[in-house]
Amino acid sequence: MSYIDEFAAQGKGEKAPGGETKPHARIQPDRIWVVLARRAYDQPLAQVGTVEADDADLASVFARTIYDEFAWVEMVVVPRDTLVTVIAS
Amino acid sequence: MPKNAASGENEVLYGLISRLADNKYFLGRRYAEWCSSAPTLESSVAAAAMAQDELGHARALYPLLKTLAPGLGAELEPETRTDFHRMRFLDSSFDGWIDFVTANFLIDTALSVIFEAAQTSSYEPLAGRSRKVLQEERTHALHGQAWARRLARIPETRAAFEASLRRAWDETLCWFGPEGKSNPLSEANVLDATPDTLRERFLAKVAPDIVASELALPVRATKKGWKLTTPLPWERWDVTRYRLDPAEEPVASSLAHD
Repeated sequence: MSYIDEFAAQGKGEKAPGGETKPHARIQPDRIWVVLARRAYDQPLAQVGTVEADDADLASVFARTIYDEFAWVEMVVVPRDTLVTVIAS
Repeated sequence: MPKNAASGENEVLYGLISRLADNKYFLGRRYAEWCSSAPTLESSVAAAAMAQDELGHARALYPLLKTLAPGLGAELEPETRTDFHRMRFLDSSFDGWIDFVTANFLIDTALSVIFEAAQTSSYEPLAGRSRKVLQEERTHALHGQAWARRLARIPETRAAFEASLRRAWDETLCWFGPEGKSNPLSEANVLDATPDTLRERFLAKVAPDIVASELALPVRATKKGWKLTTPLPWERWDVTRYRLDPAEEPVASSLAHD
């Protein structure tokens, strides 16, 4: 039984606006983290993707395991909601 | 210990390596069952990565058994082995993601405590492997601690998480070995500490999150460190297989409530 099924089975689901049951919505992470990395010291950090996690420790683990396609020399995660827009798209 | 196995000091080493390899192997298998069904995509990927790590660690340890007890044949490979020395908590698939986090938070950490104690082991093949294992275990510890805090924080998961932790708690603490100052592994410098000290190191790793999250487990802070508030159930400890026999079901009291 998956974690989601487990909580749905316990009747812990929450009602979504449309009336549809949304199982254990509170377990969903509430923060998006931007993952930046570089492959060589003479390169700048660049965004390689994002992860969803509700604290920095989990975000670090997720970034490391999901974006492990290269032998990065540096990787950082930054909460997306802390970025300040200078020029809007 | 099977017949034709190692004897003397090798027997003690064989037991230790068996316990480490078998628990790593089954932890990896249990983690792997959650590669596509964790609550988030990110945790599914993390589960897959951690499963790979654990199975890799087991793969690195099993060959050591061949050098310690070369006559054991099929018992030296995980695919053909029948005499597994794993914790009871890993006997069957996890009931849910909460059990995954319990194993990650308690059992994975307990294994790492042993590898930390073996980094300068007199048994060099274990020392070298321990250093490599610990490099990969850092992310496992972060994952377990972060999820433990999270499950404790969410009202809907808190009670189930406490119950799951309690199921693994006694066995994990007993698993370091019997109480007392005398221990063949520390006396031979295979590990740098006695089981009692290893238990203290383990508590120092997990107790801060348990106490900060106000989870109802029998541990408290003292001036000398973290202490258990209830004795461990050594009467149920199987010293040959390093696992806890199941507690007797309270049949009479459950009938009384029917």
